Order: sequence, then structure tokens, then C-alpha cells
Amino acid sequence: MLLTLVRASLWRRRSRTALAVIGVAVSAALLLDMVMLSSGMRESFRSLLESRGFALRLAPKGTLPFDTEATIDSADAVMAQLRANPDIVTVSPVLGGQVHVALGRGTVAAVAIGIDPAVQGDYDLRAGHDIQRADQMVVSDQFLAATGARVGDTLRVAGGYDAQMRLLIGERRLVVAGTAHFVYMPANPRVVALPIATLRAMRQTVDDPVSLFMLRLRPGADPATVQRWVARAIPRVTVISTATALRQVDERLSYFRQLAFILGSVSLTVGLLLVTTLVTVSVNERLGEIAVMRAIGIATRSIVLQVLVEGTAIMLAGSVLGLGLGLVTARYLNGILSSFPGLPAAIDFFLFQPRDAWVSLGLLGVCGVLAGVYPAWRGASLPIATTLREEAVA
Amino acid sequence: MSNPALVLSARDLHRDYAMGESPVHALRGVSLDVAPGDYVAIAGPSGCGKSTLLNLLGAIDRPDAGAVEIGGKRVDRLTDREATRFRLLHIGFVFQRFYLMPALTARENVELPMAEAGVPRGARRDRAMELLSYVGLASRAGHRPSQLSGGEQQRVAIARALANRPALLLCDEPTGELDAHTGAEMIALFERLNADGTTIVVVTHDEDLARAARRVVHMKDGAILSDTRAR
Amino acid sequence: MGDRLVVRASPTGLGDTVVVGAIVRRSADPSEVARGEYRVLMHLDQLQSLIGYGDRVDRFAVATAGAAATDRALARINDAAFGFQAYRSRDIAVETSQTFLVVSRFHRAIGVITIVASAVFLLCIMLLKVDERRRDVAALRLMGISSATVLKAIVLEATLVATAGSVLGVGIGVAASALVNAHYRGVYRTPLAFTIVTPDVVAFAVALSLGLGVAAGFFAARRLTRVHPLVLFGR
Repeated sequence: MLLTLVRASLWRRRSRTALAVIGVAVSAALLLDMVMLSSGMRESFRSLLESRGFALRLAPKGTLPFDTEATIDSADAVMAQLRANPDIVTVSPVLGGQVHVALGRGTVAAVAIGIDPAVQGDYDLRAGHDIQRADQMVVSDQFLAATGARVGDTLRVAGGYDAQMRLLIGERRLVVAGTAHFVYMPANPRVVALPIATLRAMRQTVDDPVSLFMLRLRPGADPATVQRWVARAIPRVTVISTATALRQVDERLSYFRQLAFILGSVSLTVGLLLVTTLVTVSVNERLGEIAVMRAIGIATRSIVLQVLVEGTAIMLAGSVLGLGLGLVTARYLNGILSSFPGLPAAIDFFLFQPRDAWVSLGLLGVCGVLAGVYPAWRGASLPIATTLREEAVA
Repeated sequence: MSNPALVLSARDLHRDYAMGESPVHALRGVSLDVAPGDYVAIAGPSGCGKSTLLNLLGAIDRPDAGAVEIGGKRVDRLTDREATRFRLLHIGFVFQRFYLMPALTARENVELPMAEAGVPRGARRDRAMELLSYVGLASRAGHRPSQLSGGEQQRVAIARALANRPALLLCDEPTGELDAHTGAEMIALFERLNADGTTIVVVTHDEDLARAARRVVHMKDGAILSDTRAR
Repeated sequence: MGDRLVVRASPTGLGDTVVVGAIVRRSADPSEVARGEYRVLMHLDQLQSLIGYGDRVDRFAVATAGAAATDRALARINDAAFGFQAYRSRDIAVETSQTFLVVSRFHRAIGVITIVASAVFLLCIMLLKVDERRRDVAALRLMGISSATVLKAIVLEATLVATAGSVLGVGIGVAASALVNAHYRGVYRTPLAFTIVTPDVVAFAVALSLGLGVAAGFFAARRLTRVHPLVLFGR
């Protein structure tokens, strides 16, 4: 009977119910987006860091990977030290830089990463084959588009360019072995990957520097223990675990989490206000009905429950609608934030996790109940005789 | 005070309302006994205290002084929750303005008190149809109040009031909103109900309705003037 | 202040001993926000010597005597230059502010969504509150007051409420802006302003809230005044 009463009551004022559901849907959509934003970036970044299986990263002391132009010198000696630790199964060196490709009278600049193809974790091959010789490189699709080259072509590539004299420095003839998707790069970059020794030779560096080491540990090894060992054994590097990296990203992008919290709270409050207003108006309109129900013996508890269920039903219907709306707006907003300079294209600010939907639904459900409690209790507590008389007069 | 032979016993009821500087004495020491099967009409001019008396008899309101017993139970001492439950199971109410739930059908309106009393769905549906047949509205069971005439709505209200087989049916101006012809039909229905054993107390301005009762209690200025057994 | 430090170009190279002569405040440069690196300011020739830069610099900053002079200097430098290019500071700022352009777009999108959401909420609540007074409206109409008069009365009420709300909202916005700036300047250790309330912004916000409020009141009132008074009474 309760559900019959609720359904009948909501259906009787269809347009008002529909409007309230839409209002709650908008609130729910915004709330879902903010819940997604508060954790999305972090989870997305974690997923990216863990996707390659490298638990630790080593950068020059006091820096974050590729944050500055600093390098770790005498990298070969460092690698030997790292390989001596039985917990470390793979050491992947990465050297960052820039290369210039000669094209007719001009040049095209591209981001270069020097890697060891046997242990690299920076790209997924898409076409062609991987680097097998010192004079081969794997490139991004955007690089091919910018240079007009194809897989198999040979290009004149230099490690430096003197803009004043317009001279290429450290030039080599390199073959495009294949194309790849570069996991840690922003969208639409021109990137080339080549053997680290080749890049060093092209840059004419005297030492054997790297920008970054990535370490893969044996199964069961504790990253924190290895992190401490490396910090002691090689004090001129900073060891960054996934947890450390996430913490630093949290700090840098704390603004979005705070924004998410504030906007989420505001939308929840407004949704609550809307349902409270709706329930209050609905109860005020039915004071006579409520008084009669009490007169014929319907308990206050039953009446309050009916009103609560009405409010919750609107909240739930709006939440389900809001879920769809929220996912659409999240996609749109994510598209805007994805163009953050320097951010890997794989990072999403708005990442949908089922947990987020449950959190949003749960919050809105609780609010639906809270919104109805006071007006329902108030309406059901009015003196029957007086209320009937006033309603008759009205 | 208890007299098991009585359905209703009210003793020395007083009820005042605060209005402005001096209180209004709506009831001044009213006493009334109603036996099972009685059909009592309470008549009097507007403001004489008829509806106030009915509210006290129905445990909707509490007297400032005096006692009300229904079926041997002191209803004036019940808590709000207890009074509500008591009304559900032992008293049926019929109002001047019908007060049906506009969102429910006629059948659902009659089922409402039974659902609250915990009657299973099948049983209450059957009883609802039985009562609607009794009042001649079985064919309108699926209609909403807005689709029924005033007389039909009042008959549904009567069926609702009888849902939990109350000991007592209290009616406040049941023909007040009806035309003469429909009012006459209602009077006939009340007579049938009383003949079938329902104890009825009705508050009314309607002379015809008062004449149809077995006993007429006249009130004025919050007190009973006369209590006449007509037949 | 006054401490001696050794600065090197590489962890194992030779270095110079320097004395900390001053501690400087961060500049209002958007590209420096949220960066945790350390900065050291040295004499140009000392740094060139330390890092083996020879007689090179990364850039020159040129001050000119007014906008016209900037244009002339830009043209002459680029004509004469060989291997380097001159840019207006404004154009460089646009490039280095790419992060904040993205944030700006994001804020604008959030703003639009919030406005749409607010409009829906406003309409809902206004419809509910006006609907609550249906009996009053019915009584007025039955007395002979025209629909137009009733409509105007409700719209006037909505306008007054919207005006009061707008004034309050501007006050809250200004206070919130001050709070945001105080907070994020502390968090990111920068003198940059994160929010600026200008007369244009205030005018836009007030016009929008007034417009939405009045429109919501109008639609709510029109919905009621179109219905026959007896229907409003529930007969």
C-alpha cells in the first residue's frame, strides 16, 4: 500500500515530479563528475606508472623525471651497481633530448629518447619492427606526418643545431624501423626512439649520462626496501616509487581535488535543497489529507515513511538519469583538460570507477532521506482537529 | 464508570479554546452514553460545540476535563500513538468533505485502513469490494475521487470507515456537501447500516438526517439541551 | 643569509664558493607555479664560467620606450639578427601560459554547466513555490483581478528576490575570491592572482542571475494564470 500511495502521489503531480527529477539529475551529474575528478587523475596516473611493471624510477638528485635537463653521469657504473642487487631484475636506462631532422632547406625538431630496446618500457610498437641496429629508430605517427617520411626511409638526423650558423651537429643517417605509441608522451608529439649509445654519440657527450633509470623488481620484492638500498648505495640520485610519484602529482594538482570537493559539496547541497523544497511544498499541500489519514488511524510513522519514500524515489530516479548525464559531461571536460601541456596523453582527469557511482548514489540517497524527514515529521505532528478545521476553511 | 453494556460513555466533558483575551468554552460539562446499535444524531446551531464533541468522542482531541470511554477503554488518557491505533481498529470516521485520497482509486481508498492494520492483500481486496458492493459502488471501484460525484465519494468514505469493522461510526455533517436527493440516499444508507447493527453517532444540521436517527441530542452553547429518543 | 655554499655544474665537477647575499621572492610568473625546484641567482660571468657557457646567453630581455618603440625595435632586431629571433613579451607569456589557458577553458566549461544547473534548480524551486500559492491566485482571479495583474505581481516579486539574491551573491563572490587568492598564494607561494573580480564580471553575473530569476518567475506565474481558478481550487 505504501508503494501504491507513493506512486500515485508522484504521478498525480507528474510535471512537478519530472521537473524535480531533472533538477536532481543535474545535481547528480555534477556530483558524479566531481567524485570522478577527485580521484580520476591519481588513479589514471597510477595505472600508467604501473602498466609497464617498473616499480621504481631514478632521477638526478632533487629532480623529478624529465623535469629539468639534469642527467645522471657515469650511468654504466650506476647500472652495474643496480644489477648487483638480486631484487632488481631489469634496469632500463632512458636519455632524453632533442634531435633535428634535415629536410631540404629547413629542419624539423623532435623529442628524442635514447633507450635499450631489449628492456625499454616507453613505447608500444604499432608498425614495422623494433630497433635492431645502432642506425635504426622508431618514431611516432606525428613525426612521420611532419617529415613526410615512411617506414623504411633513411633520414639525416642531428643531435644538435647551431641556429646562428645554421649547422647540424652530430649528424647521422638513421633508418625508420617502425612506428610506435609513446606511452608517457603528451598528445600529438613528434617523438623518436633510438639506441642510447647512438643518441649520446649524436649529442657528442663525453660522459655516459642518462636522464632516468626505470627498475623492475623480482616478484615479492619490497619496493620500499629496494628504494632505501638505492638511496644509500647511490646518493646522487633521487629514487621515486609509484607512491612518491603519486604524492607529488597530488601536490601539484591539489587544486583540482579541492575544486572537486567544493563543487561536489555545492551540488549536493543544492540537490538536497531542491528535494527539501519539493517535499515541504508537497506536505503543505496535503496537510488536510495527512490529518484525515491520522484521523482514520494511519500512524504518524507510516505517513512520515510515505513522504520519505517519495523524496527518496525522486532522488534515485534523478540519480540514475544523472549518471548518464555525468558521464557525457565528464567526457567533454576531460577533453579540455587532456590538452594540458606536458601531460601524458594516457592520463585521464575524469576516470569512471563503479565505486564513484555508488558513492554519488549513496550520498544522494542519504540526502533524499534527510530532505524529507523534517517536513514529513512536522506535517504529521500537527493537531488533527485544528488542521481539519483550517483546511476546511481554506 | 465502566458499563460493559455501553459502546461509548462520555462524562462531564469540558473543552476550551484560547481565542484572544478570553477563552471560548466550546463544551461545558457534556455527558453522553451510547449503547450498541444506537443511532444518535447530535443537532444544534453553528458554534454550539457539536464537532468539538465528536472530536473528543473519536479520540482526535483531548478534553480539558472529563472522561471518554469506548468499549470500556479510557481514550482520553491514550498517547497520540495509542489513540491513532485505537481509531484505526475501533472507530470509523465520515467527514463532511469526504477527504478521500485523491491519488487513490475508490477500492484503494477503502483498503487503506486495512493495509495499515496489517490485513493481507487478498483479504483486504475482497473486503473492500464487499463494502463497495454494500454501498452500491462495486462498478466504480477503479475510479478516482475526481471521477465520482459527491454522493458517490461520500459512499466510498463510508465504506472506508467500515473497513476494520469498527465498534462505532462517527459522522461529521455527512450530508453537508450533498444536494437534497443525494442526501436522502445517504440517509437511507445510514438507516440500513444501523439496521445491520452498526452503532452510529452523527453530527448534523440536516433536519431530515436528525429525524432519521433513533435518538436526537440537541446542543446549545456547549451544553446538551435535550436528549430525546425518537423511536 | 651570509652562509657559504659550493655550487658545481655537475655532482662531481669543480665548484665555486659563493656567499648567500639575499633571499628573493618568487616572481609572478605562471610557469613557476607549482614547480618545486630551487633557484640560484648569480653574476652572469661567474655562471658562464662555471657551466662552461663561454660568451653565450639564453636570451636578452629588452626594455623599450613605449609600444611604438617596441614595434620598431622588434622589426630592426629581426631584420639584422642571424640565428636568433626577437619576440614580444606578451607573445611569450601566451606560450608559457598554456597551462593556464587550459585551466581557463576548464573553468569556463564548469561555469557554463553550473549556470545551466542553477537555471534548472531555480525553475524547479520557483515553480514549486508559486504552485504553493495556487489557492491565493485562484481567489484573486475569482474576485476579478485579471491574469495580467497577477502575473505582473508574481514577476515583480521574483525580480525583487532576484535582485536581493544578486546583491548577496556579489558580496559572497567577492569574499570567496579574496579567500581563494589568499589560500592559493600560500599553497603555491606565488604573488599571482588566481581570481579577479572586475566590473565586467560583476555586471555579467548580476545580469544573468536577474535574468534567470525573472524568467523563472514569469514561467511559473504564466503556468498558474493559464489555469481556470476553479481548477486551481481543486474542483
